[in-house]
Amino acid sequence: MNFSVVVSQFWPLLINGLALGFIYVLISLGYTMVYGVLRLINFANSEIFMVGTFATVIVSRNFFGFNQNTDPLHGFRLFYTMGLCLLASMLVSGVTAVLVEIVAYRRLRAKGTNRLASLISAIGVSIILQEGVRILTHSVPMSNPRLLRKFSVVTIGDVGLRVDTLIVIVFAAVLFFAVDRFVTKTLLGKAIRAVSMSEETSKLMGINLNRVISATFLIGGSMTGAAAFLYEMVYENTKYNVGFSIGLAAFTAAVLGGIGNLRGAFYGGLALGLTEQFAAAILGTQWKSVTVFLVLVLVLLFKPNGLFGEAVQQTRV
Amino acid sequence: MNKNTKRVLGVVAAATLVAGSIAITSAQAAVKSVTLVYQGPLTGTDAQTGQDELLGAQTAVQIYNDSNPAVTVKLITADDQGDGAVAGTVAPGIAQNKNVIGVVGPAYSGASIASFPSYKAGRLTMVSPSATRVTLTDPKSADNGYPFFHRVVGNDALQGPAVVRWSTDGVSSPKVYVIDDQTPYGTGLADAANAYIKLKKITKVGSDSVVQKTSDYTATVSKIKASKANVVIYTGYYPDGGALAKALNDSGWVGTFAGGDGVLNDAFIDVAGKAAAEGVKFTAPAVPFETAASDAQQAAFTKATKLKSAAGHVYVTETFNATNVFLTCIKQGKYSRAGIQACVATGTFYGLDGKTVLRFTRFGEVVGGAPVGGFQVVKGVIKYFGAV
Repeated sequence: MNFSVVVSQFWPLLINGLALGFIYVLISLGYTMVYGVLRLINFANSEIFMVGTFATVIVSRNFFGFNQNTDPLHGFRLFYTMGLCLLASMLVSGVTAVLVEIVAYRRLRAKGTNRLASLISAIGVSIILQEGVRILTHSVPMSNPRLLRKFSVVTIGDVGLRVDTLIVIVFAAVLFFAVDRFVTKTLLGKAIRAVSMSEETSKLMGINLNRVISATFLIGGSMTGAAAFLYEMVYENTKYNVGFSIGLAAFTAAVLGGIGNLRGAFYGGLALGLTEQFAAAILGTQWKSVTVFLVLVLVLLFKPNGLFGEAVQQTRV
Repeated sequence: MNKNTKRVLGVVAAATLVAGSIAITSAQAAVKSVTLVYQGPLTGTDAQTGQDELLGAQTAVQIYNDSNPAVTVKLITADDQGDGAVAGTVAPGIAQNKNVIGVVGPAYSGASIASFPSYKAGRLTMVSPSATRVTLTDPKSADNGYPFFHRVVGNDALQGPAVVRWSTDGVSSPKVYVIDDQTPYGTGLADAANAYIKLKKITKVGSDSVVQKTSDYTATVSKIKASKANVVIYTGYYPDGGALAKALNDSGWVGTFAGGDGVLNDAFIDVAGKAAAEGVKFTAPAVPFETAASDAQQAAFTKATKLKSAAGHVYVTETFNATNVFLTCIKQGKYSRAGIQACVATGTFYGLDGKTVLRFTRFGEVVGGAPVGGFQVVKGVIKYFGAV
């Protein structure tokens, strides 16, 4: 165990843990919103993240023609380019999520099959998407050209807060609170919450179930797409299996916070990001996953609904 | 037994012997083509390594077949993605293919270990151009491939010290941080590097073990910075090594980043980005094809691969040499698995330059070891600096 690294690298670990945690928060929204309305674990969400990363890379490389030799952008061009990459990522991920729901889940739901069938269908879609992209890309990793120069905007102690990290934290927080407000304040948001509480009663109240479920997949998928864009901004690489480990981590975050619960995903994502960073620093990176899952098991032992599940029931999707 | 019976039996025995000899001769005469297989990562995140190596095998076979031999060689491929789990499913099929008389490969150590049971059962000889884990030829290890595994490259016991020497070369007061990727290759090379660091009393300020396919290296970077390391040695493969080098560079860390042959690949520069890749050092028990090949061999390379030059492609020479071991045996009329095994185990072979002698120890190492080369990214291109 190496506690001295925490003393000397506390701020970088905290900031990087928060940035990673916020990416988990956005991805875990894709899991938690779908679970909230359908009681279904959408295993394909990790691949929805993966297609989002490819959308970002393809727009910057193929649409704008940038490559590894391109200088980072400035001013309006930077804003415009990154905006389009973000839009493409959210759109592709959102639409993919809706298509997954229509193709893989809707008919099963209409037929009244049990949840196990939907679960297998979710895993099947996940494999199809991953293998499809693997074949199309010949399994070769794709690097994303650097659009944003990574400079320090603020110095805390003797540690600089990098602009990409700051953007991740601020932008992901804004997106999360926007979704939270949307779900609690708008008519469609209320309909989503109503369906999550009782599907039958919602139908009796005249709510169009398919429309509400599609909207849920679209919002969850878009947030996962936004996370994919932020991921590409920081890590600048993707490959066909990029979603596996990060998707598993985000799913863990959702369970940790209380799956089906928006704010639970928020707390779970941040808790996971920070735990991973500090566990890797103190115990060694090889112990990171062991620590995370040990924490998860312990939490579920004492709080089966997740760490913040019961405290924030009112904001359940 | 009376005299007549003895006479009849004698005639029958003689006839059987003659018939047997004719049958054997006919069978040998009937051989028109034999098959070798190249096994390595042809798809997957490490596909570039396998695709590069395949160029060397194709060139060797091209030269052999162009010499109009009585028995031609067909080269087929087996894609194990460099992954032991995949190799374990690929190897049984190769072993059962009776047309295959030798395996050029496996390329990776983990894939080799997973393939050994099938190839041992099928009595199929392997000559690897790049699997460097020490235990593969260690008689005391449960992982060894004796008596069917051979390799034309130096193992990690040679590369481990070389990567330490090369990475610390020119660094005053080196403080080394060693990171492995938890694979059989990565941990083996890290062990060899750590042993040399200890032996030479070089300051080691930390170590980490980061699983393959990790995307976020920020915690590792924080630890490296806290340790004040000025040399980082990464023993893994280029997709992850590139991501780590990029994360280190983005953090503002200044020092020498180095890796073994798993990281040596042009694709490393693409993954890391030009800024992070510049100055990165690599070692590999490899000699660039374009520096060792004759004009005729270069022409055969172009004919076989449709590429102008082998520059930027790794292990082409070593795969050429590994393939040539089999081709030499085939030239000597060895068309069966048993014949190939005996020939490879006892024969003397020559490398690409026609001078380098390759003979194998009982457990499959090159007699006398093989040199380890030093490479570095200079102005965005990987340059070879000779043996280190």
